[in-house]
Amino acid sequence: MTTFRKFTAGAAVLTLAAALSACSSSSSGGGDDTSGSSSSASGGGTLSVWCWDPNFNIYAMQAAEKIYQQDHPDFSLDITEVSWDDLQTNLTTLAQSNQLDQLPDIFLMQNNAYQKNVVNYPDLFSDYTDSGVDFSQFPDSVVAYSTVDGVNYGLPFDNGTAIQAVRTDILADAGYTVDDFTDITWDQFITLGEDVLAKTGQPMLTGQAGSTDLIMMMLQSAGASLFDDAGNPTITDNDALNAAIDVYTRLVKSGVLVEVNSWDEYINTIVNSNTAGVINGVWISASIQSAPDQSGLWAVTNLPKLDGVAGATNYSANGGSSWAISSNADYALAADFLNSTFAGSTELYDTILPASGALANWIPAGQSAVYAEPQEFYGGQAIYALVVDFATKVPSNNTGVYYYEARDAVGVAITAILNGTDPSAALEEAQQTVEFAMGG
Amino acid sequence: MPAEVGATPSTSPGKTSRRRSRPPSTSTGLERRRSLTGWTFLIPASLVILLMSFWPMIQAAILSLQTGRGRDLSFADPLWLNYQRMLDDEILKQTLTTTFIYLIIQVPIMLGMALILANLLNDPNLRFKGLWRTAIFLPSAVGLVSYALVFRTMFATDGLVNDIGMALGFLDSPVNWLGQTWSARMVIILGLLWRWTGYNMIFYLAGLQTIERSTLEAAKIDGAGPAKTFWYVTIPQLKPMILLTAIMSTNGTLQLFDESYNLTNGGPGNTSMTISHYLYNVSFRNSPNFGYAAAISYVILILVAILAAAQIKIGDTRD
Amino acid sequence: MTRRLRRLPGYLFLGFAALASVFPLYYMAVSATNTSQDVLASRLIPGSNLMANFESLVTQQPLWSSVWHSTVIAVSTTVLAVVITSIAGYGFEVYHTRAKDRLMGFLLLAVMIPFAATMIPLFRLFADLGMVNSPLAVILPAISTPFLILLFRQASRSFPREIIEAARLDGLKELAIFARIYLPTMRPTFAAAAVITFMTAWNNFLWPKVILISNEYQTLPILLSNIRAGYVTDYGMLMLAVLIASLPAMVIFLILQRSFAEGITGAIK
Repeated sequence: MTTFRKFTAGAAVLTLAAALSACSSSSSGGGDDTSGSSSSASGGGTLSVWCWDPNFNIYAMQAAEKIYQQDHPDFSLDITEVSWDDLQTNLTTLAQSNQLDQLPDIFLMQNNAYQKNVVNYPDLFSDYTDSGVDFSQFPDSVVAYSTVDGVNYGLPFDNGTAIQAVRTDILADAGYTVDDFTDITWDQFITLGEDVLAKTGQPMLTGQAGSTDLIMMMLQSAGASLFDDAGNPTITDNDALNAAIDVYTRLVKSGVLVEVNSWDEYINTIVNSNTAGVINGVWISASIQSAPDQSGLWAVTNLPKLDGVAGATNYSANGGSSWAISSNADYALAADFLNSTFAGSTELYDTILPASGALANWIPAGQSAVYAEPQEFYGGQAIYALVVDFATKVPSNNTGVYYYEARDAVGVAITAILNGTDPSAALEEAQQTVEFAMGG
Repeated sequence: MPAEVGATPSTSPGKTSRRRSRPPSTSTGLERRRSLTGWTFLIPASLVILLMSFWPMIQAAILSLQTGRGRDLSFADPLWLNYQRMLDDEILKQTLTTTFIYLIIQVPIMLGMALILANLLNDPNLRFKGLWRTAIFLPSAVGLVSYALVFRTMFATDGLVNDIGMALGFLDSPVNWLGQTWSARMVIILGLLWRWTGYNMIFYLAGLQTIERSTLEAAKIDGAGPAKTFWYVTIPQLKPMILLTAIMSTNGTLQLFDESYNLTNGGPGNTSMTISHYLYNVSFRNSPNFGYAAAISYVILILVAILAAAQIKIGDTRD
Repeated sequence: MTRRLRRLPGYLFLGFAALASVFPLYYMAVSATNTSQDVLASRLIPGSNLMANFESLVTQQPLWSSVWHSTVIAVSTTVLAVVITSIAGYGFEVYHTRAKDRLMGFLLLAVMIPFAATMIPLFRLFADLGMVNSPLAVILPAISTPFLILLFRQASRSFPREIIEAARLDGLKELAIFARIYLPTMRPTFAAAAVITFMTAWNNFLWPKVILISNEYQTLPILLSNIRAGYVTDYGMLMLAVLIASLPAMVIFLILQRSFAEGITGAIK
């Protein structure tokens, strides 16, 4: 009896699974076409896209779809939501197992991961040479992330320009305004920050322990990085890095920057008013604005610059991402779609900015009236026009194929330095770690 | 008296003889036919494993002899280059040490607690049995992402643990639990205990049901207290199950990934990172080096195999 | 009186374990009713944002289809796995020969290698079979694990061999002995195997993510991963999703836990 029941159940499940996969193969037959190589057979065509964040990138893609449909009524997008970590895993798996026909037409890639992916897996990408996109309409520093040997592999989308956002109410309690924090150096910043801390008890900055975001922003603000032009690691004998680490150590030791342990805690210090300011890519604005009770209390300005470092500026960037056209794409359609939307439609950027806070890297969009509108949350400041202006002043730097190895090694070094290790010894070890990783 | 109690189960005649020798073979033909039946029983499951696990493992073995980035791989010279390279890998040494710390501290505590809990729950006179059982099992049902989030929040510097500790006077000032090497490791160990103790308890509960109640009654009649009955009667009979969970937990700990990745992200300064987390970074975060990653994974395989063999040697009494 | 006192440490330990187990779950459940900002501030009392969290969850994410895909995959995996591994475990133990013992040891090696190392060859295998994006590609590798076989083999050790001999004398076929005599007495083991297989299948993340490339068969762990991927995470919504994702495994345990409580002595006699 029992056996009989068990085995019927088993058989039923097998049938169910088979049925499921049968309907999968029939419907994914359609899916395969969209991600397949020759989707332009139908004329209008569908493009498949991988990207993450429904409120941001996916929203922007959908808006672009609507705009492109005005002239191409048969056009549609098939968007798959994939988090960045998962997208990277998928790309690596497909490239490594040589299953490139599973790639979508377009995918989004973090700017910091571009060099690594293009150099290791060039056959994932189609380059933009024949796309008609005018890359001179994007800031050089942003285009540089996705350029390998002079060839463009990415259309910059998500803007990673760095901002310093401050709480004007807390600064006022200490007798300062946002102007006191504009166009200053890090030495001045620490002095001001110590005063704010003494008067209000609030730190000026928050940061994740072991994260190198702030250090990397300081480096880029001076056009420096962890690699030289030949791709060799330059963690030792790097003036900008030494200066950045010195500043960071002083920030932590003085309490002007409070370190927390995770991203959730980091966001918590911002939305629950436990910091007087924050420095990050402009995209942090979305998190800042998730605390509606703080409306009108924030202002945005540029970053402090490193003292005594050649080429130091008040401008930098953190993160951001760009659209890649895959090697499996309907190239003509994908290129035309991207060129007429993300590299050619003010209407698109005017739509997505107010709704999602997605800021253009495409310089012509910055001239639109929408960008000049005062933002209530930031006390009436026209922050978007301001940031688009910042973006043009960010120095380019070399991310490098071994970006993550180097960044992680520096993160370990900083933790050690804050625990009392001699900086030059810690950096020497970081240099060796990266050299080891590059050696195999 | 303890000696007598201890002797009770192991001298019960049926058991030992059953374990030590095969059923007397009445005819070799019948024997052979039964052995054949046995093979047909185990072939479907074995085939699935051979195809889905061993085939990829062979590929990984070949890969571990190759070097290069991305798909541009070639056989290394010498062939064992990736293995040789590990000797100079400081991060590998660090993560290996950390993983063994987790193994040595967490596994014995967890299995001990699971055993005690299962034994308590098996007491026929216990009240609210279902309630206790359910409560203790529930953590194993929770997804890894969320439990990492909950633990991180609880152990934050301004989190609940510090609040309670200070309110009760255990702590003078808030502790940065996740920011220091040993306390971060301790949080990972606590997380593992929380999440997996109830899971192992299930195996013991199932195992306890197959123990004949009469042996426990006999021990009681002999005047043994609960502790002695547990030690001398229950544990020996649960041995096959303890062996299973020990091998499983050893394997699970040496392949520990999620806790390191989600809870502490390996920090501070890589000191709470596990080997599998490092392996993942080498494959998917860093500039991909699949040859080296495959070599590391074979080292993990060898370590687990050695430890499992040792456990079987100590714990498996049949042969 | 003394007997009661002797039980006290046991009750205390149980109470402690139960409390420690449940507290983070309480925290999770409460967070599901709070706003994102309150979750981050570790608010420990229930809020009034449950419906709003639910609203955002179902509008932003394909919740129900993910629940359905997870259910089909986890249930199929569990039933198939329990059937084929229980027979195998029984076969390994009851008919054990040296060759079978060696095979068992060999099979165990299969779980000792980290999945990250075998994932790409496995992907290539299923791609060659044309099974990318097929739920069967998620189910098949999970229906036979050496641990499940070992679990049934270990549990079979305490199954009295005399009963099998007696049944043979009664003229029962080998499969019938397995089905009619062994199966009913091993209910606790089957329950344990089903619970753990279901949970593993239900929470499985990396392989489904990789093989189900299009989101057509998106499962719940993939949905959870996507919720956290944006610039702004709605923690209230996340906690609610996590709560919903945790419920089925709990329910399965509640249903099957009766089997853990049943002794086998009665069944044998």
